[in-house]
Amino acid sequence: MGDKKPVLNFLEAEHERRQFLRVGGLSFLGITLSDYFRMKETLAAVGKGIPTKAQSVILIWLSGGPPHMDMWDPKPNSNFKPIGTNVAGIQISETLPKTAQHMDKLSIIRSMHTEENNHPEGTYYGMTGHRPNPAFRFPSFGSIVSRELGVQNNVPPYVVTPPLSYDHSYMAGNMGPQYNPMIVPDPSQEDFKIPDLTLPKSLSAELIQDRQTFLKVVDHQFRQKEEFARFNKMDSYQEQALRMILSPNVKKAFDLSEESDKVKESYGKTRFGQSVLLARRLVEAGCRFVTAEGFNHSEWDIHFDNDKLLKENLAPRFDQAMSTLLTELDERGLLESTVVLAMGEFGRTPNINPRAGRDHWCHCWSMVLGGGGIKGGQIVGASDERAAYVAERKVTQGDLFATVYKALGIDWTKTYTGLDGRPLYIANSIGDKQGHPVHELI
Amino acid sequence: MRVSKIGKFFISVKAGILSCAILVLVTASTVRMDSQPPDTPLSTNLSAKLISIELVPKAITLWGADASQHFLLMGTFSDGLRRDITSEGQFSASKPGFIVFDKTNKVSPIKDGELFLIAKVKDKKSRSTIKILEAQEKRPFSFPRVIGSLLTKQGCNETACHGSVPGRGGFKLSINSIYPRDDFKWIVKGGKFEVLTEKSEEPKEPRINLENPEKSALLLKPSLQVPHGGGLRFGVDSPQYSTILTWIQAGAPYGEKGESESIRIEKLEVYPKESVLNLEGSQQILVTAHLSNGRKEDVTGQVVYEAKNGTVVEVAEDGLVQAKKRGETSILIRASGKATSVRFGVIASPLSSYPEIPENNLIDKHVFAKLRKFNIIPSELSSDAEFLRRICLDLTGTLPPANRVREFLISRDPNKRKNLIELLLNSPEFQDFLHFRYAEIFRWYGGATQVAKDTNLYGEWLRESIAINKSYDQIAIERIAAQGYDGPSRFYYQLRFIIPPPDMIAEQVRLYLGRRLDCARCHDHPFEAWSQDQFWGMAAFYGRMIDVRENVMVDSLIVDDPEHIGQVIHPKTSKVVEPRVLDGDVLPLDERTDLRMKLAQWIVKHPYFAETFVNRAWDWFFGRGIVDPVDDFRPTNPPTHPKLIKALAKYFRENNHDVKKLMQLIVQSRTYQLSSYPNDTNKGDRINFSHALPKPLDAAVLLDAISHVTGVPEEYINGKQGFPSGTRAITLLPGTPSSFMKLFERNERKALPEGKPEPALSQALHVLTGKTFNEKLTKQGGWLDQILQSDATNKEIIEELYLGSLSRFPSRGELIRLEEMVQKRPRKEALESLTWAIISSRQFLHNN
Repeated sequence: MGDKKPVLNFLEAEHERRQFLRVGGLSFLGITLSDYFRMKETLAAVGKGIPTKAQSVILIWLSGGPPHMDMWDPKPNSNFKPIGTNVAGIQISETLPKTAQHMDKLSIIRSMHTEENNHPEGTYYGMTGHRPNPAFRFPSFGSIVSRELGVQNNVPPYVVTPPLSYDHSYMAGNMGPQYNPMIVPDPSQEDFKIPDLTLPKSLSAELIQDRQTFLKVVDHQFRQKEEFARFNKMDSYQEQALRMILSPNVKKAFDLSEESDKVKESYGKTRFGQSVLLARRLVEAGCRFVTAEGFNHSEWDIHFDNDKLLKENLAPRFDQAMSTLLTELDERGLLESTVVLAMGEFGRTPNINPRAGRDHWCHCWSMVLGGGGIKGGQIVGASDERAAYVAERKVTQGDLFATVYKALGIDWTKTYTGLDGRPLYIANSIGDKQGHPVHELI
Repeated sequence: MRVSKIGKFFISVKAGILSCAILVLVTASTVRMDSQPPDTPLSTNLSAKLISIELVPKAITLWGADASQHFLLMGTFSDGLRRDITSEGQFSASKPGFIVFDKTNKVSPIKDGELFLIAKVKDKKSRSTIKILEAQEKRPFSFPRVIGSLLTKQGCNETACHGSVPGRGGFKLSINSIYPRDDFKWIVKGGKFEVLTEKSEEPKEPRINLENPEKSALLLKPSLQVPHGGGLRFGVDSPQYSTILTWIQAGAPYGEKGESESIRIEKLEVYPKESVLNLEGSQQILVTAHLSNGRKEDVTGQVVYEAKNGTVVEVAEDGLVQAKKRGETSILIRASGKATSVRFGVIASPLSSYPEIPENNLIDKHVFAKLRKFNIIPSELSSDAEFLRRICLDLTGTLPPANRVREFLISRDPNKRKNLIELLLNSPEFQDFLHFRYAEIFRWYGGATQVAKDTNLYGEWLRESIAINKSYDQIAIERIAAQGYDGPSRFYYQLRFIIPPPDMIAEQVRLYLGRRLDCARCHDHPFEAWSQDQFWGMAAFYGRMIDVRENVMVDSLIVDDPEHIGQVIHPKTSKVVEPRVLDGDVLPLDERTDLRMKLAQWIVKHPYFAETFVNRAWDWFFGRGIVDPVDDFRPTNPPTHPKLIKALAKYFRENNHDVKKLMQLIVQSRTYQLSSYPNDTNKGDRINFSHALPKPLDAAVLLDAISHVTGVPEEYINGKQGFPSGTRAITLLPGTPSSFMKLFERNERKALPEGKPEPALSQALHVLTGKTFNEKLTKQGGWLDQILQSDATNKEIIEELYLGSLSRFPSRGELIRLEEMVQKRPRKEALESLTWAIISSRQFLHNN
């Protein structure tokens, strides 16, 4: 006994951990038993025997609001020409030639209608489905998805890369910090690494394990007192954190150096391109929801020189990364299980302003989605002749969320309870009503 | 085995114009006397002896032909419990021919007079006075009382149904029929409810059909003759159906002329107010409505009951409560226009002996009285070590240094706790920490949302106020009515804009009066009696605030401009709103010279003001408010200790709103000084303050504590501004970045504090690998580095570490085990691991 080495302690800790897992049941997943049963029920109720395909979501966020008539909904008031796609009868703008070759994988909703016309509120609305309300901090879409689906393969279930502006928009709000995203810095940087997922130089995996034995001794007395829900949560997060740090697949998921230069190039060696590549890696490893932004704050907010900026800079970067992502997901068999969404907080005005730009427009705009069992090659809804207002089939943010929930096997009619017992729809539509899946797509 | 089941018939509506009023007369002139043969033993299976009995209520007046009253017979037993023994009683009237007493223990009048109702159990007797007036008079019809209470009882106007903000299925009702005039309009005239406008574009669809009353939606839907999302509420042959039908047949009148004359419920009185049952026990609730005409009325059968925790007790439709499981819950009682609640505790069996618990002050009196009643024994007094760490963190947000801990633990001075309290309350750390507390509730914010100069001025004003121990009401007045370029006026600026009045008022009401009005901004509050008009009436007090500086390059100057009246516009009527205090009238024109000062004076004099603050302060020390959440007072979220909160508020007012004195009272109580080790009776108790519960350290306090233990201060940079080394997180300029505090949920003060810090995965990761938990351990010149260079033994180091971080000596077992573990490993690495383990431990991360 006298020469017990750290290695032995490691095994001891390992043994205890296994015991903990047995006793703690599912707690290593970061979900409680009741969560688990609820999930099972939901899957049973919603899936109705049909296995759901989608496991993960990639949200490509175009901060600032892209001009829909110059991208997905070509109209005469655009200076760009419509082009054909690989789906007969679907035309999109010539600004997106590469993505046009993947329209069989994507569907376009041309009748999005939302309620906030400014960036902070619009972003909040886009990510939560709610207008900002001083009485309540609503949880983000990603927080809800990661809460409902839980952790997979120890990979953090919700990641935002790189950090977005208006950070309250993508947090868990009153739902609690355990559902906040892991925020990952710009993956295109040379020294890209994840804070706290990387061991500091002074610390080895063995040492981390050995420290647990000290903790056990120090904690012993206090653990005699009383158990609180809070303590159980802490234990389960601690367990989860240990697994993340020690399991190679988590490290690998974040390690872009494993990708060849060719692959990196194919997404574009930019903030945006690399964030989409990282999203693909994370989803591959088991992450539930990745928000990939990569464009600079409000970079799509083109109040000046709309056509020039779009054609020369924004659209090509987007087009390249988007088309590569779809190709890669397809090749790797991940498109079946991954819902891909691309959108901003709103669209842009039908009129071109005196500065050759377009301004904010939430009344009617377009977004694209596909994968994870959502039909491709469809057009949902239509705008009027100038893409200014919805001409047919209005789709709300709540409808969009409900569609994705359905793809993921989450009961979209679910409500969470807010303060004072106010029920909050997880797919909240205009006027605090229930959103409904877009049946044309799923 | 047990008591009255009030039959369905009781729900019948007693309305004058209705021919269908149902009254079950047993016989015309006799009183039921045959409830039990005289010699039947008490069915309550008890070893406890019946000591006395009491008939409840003691005195009533039955007014009019439709009046009635339920009676309860309560028995006090030798085990200290009061039990409902109504079913055991024999009842008789002192005079025959005046009343009917039916099998639901309800009395109805026959003719005018005065008499006693007498209850008897074995040799024990109790009686109540009954006065009967206008026994032949039928009561005039009133829509709120008849239709309003029917809709409430049937659940039609619940939040989940037509009572939700936009209504349901195009039909809107006010929750609990709070606004009967509106309900009347929705029913009789129809129309669709719009949240923010009075206009409705769709055609109006009345819910009644005067020509063909039986074809009214108000009847067809709830009786399921046509599809109804809410299912069957009552059948065609139910009394509810006939009540509504009769009303429509009579032309659907509102009843008594004019709104002011219609009788409303002003207050609900509930018996018992608080009750303790043993398992299997049951208790009938009596609900009396105090009406706006000064009369009282038994509404036991017309209200809705709902147990907040249905696993503890079950409550039947008629108000009969049945104990199910050990625990405590409140029962919500909703009547037409009003809601209230009562508290029920369920105990396994009464304790055979209850120890004498010493009381230090008024706090203990109230807390221990309830514990005794609920058969919970408080924990022992905390150990000195427990007490020391707790009080230092609670009063100063600072860990005591190792040498002070040693000193305190060794001292045999019987007054050492009292002296320590004095010492701490007068320390600069106390001021810093109170500043930190105030900074959260008064929102000393900064960073990108405020000009730095304004941030500094506001923080300085708070600091000075604390330094001179300014009374809390004075602070509130200065802050609400701030003018010119004073420190508190800076609060109102966000990036050179004045915070809009509606945002401001919701926050002020929540902060000072503990009520959440936010919902009422857009619509009448869905659960409480706050209307949208009340919200905007309050907002109007901020409507004259303007900035009179000449240009944006100079400092802003806030004044109230009497000419500036057009600012606060009611979103629904688009009219300028007149200033009106929450539960009062419109402020007369000649009193509108200094609106915000008027508001401030009204706020600090309001009874809610002191109650709200003492409750918040209580939460600071106990981790839970007497009302919880601390700023969510409402009838449906009752205090756990109603008398305590009143007593504390009184103490606070009588002591000139002196915050320090209030804190002193709290920390001197035995309640505060109880141990966190539970006993068999109080384990699991989370709401009665029977033992200390762990409070997570605030992000700033935790960061300071880690810096303190490791001897490595945190460095901060805010833009170009640096801070002197050793700057503490609790005194830090708001908006100064700190990744640690962000991770541990620092309150960014963008809104009033909400909830308690919660653990998260990202925190757990940081604890394992983050720099706060690693770099600080290994840093040159840090505590560990220094002590390793001294000649201290492992034992001494371990002891020092325990004292400095956990404020206690290690136990013998801990010491032996840890020494052994350190010896077997490289020394430096082992002591780093131990330090890491200590600052990651449950005890370190919490205050107990």
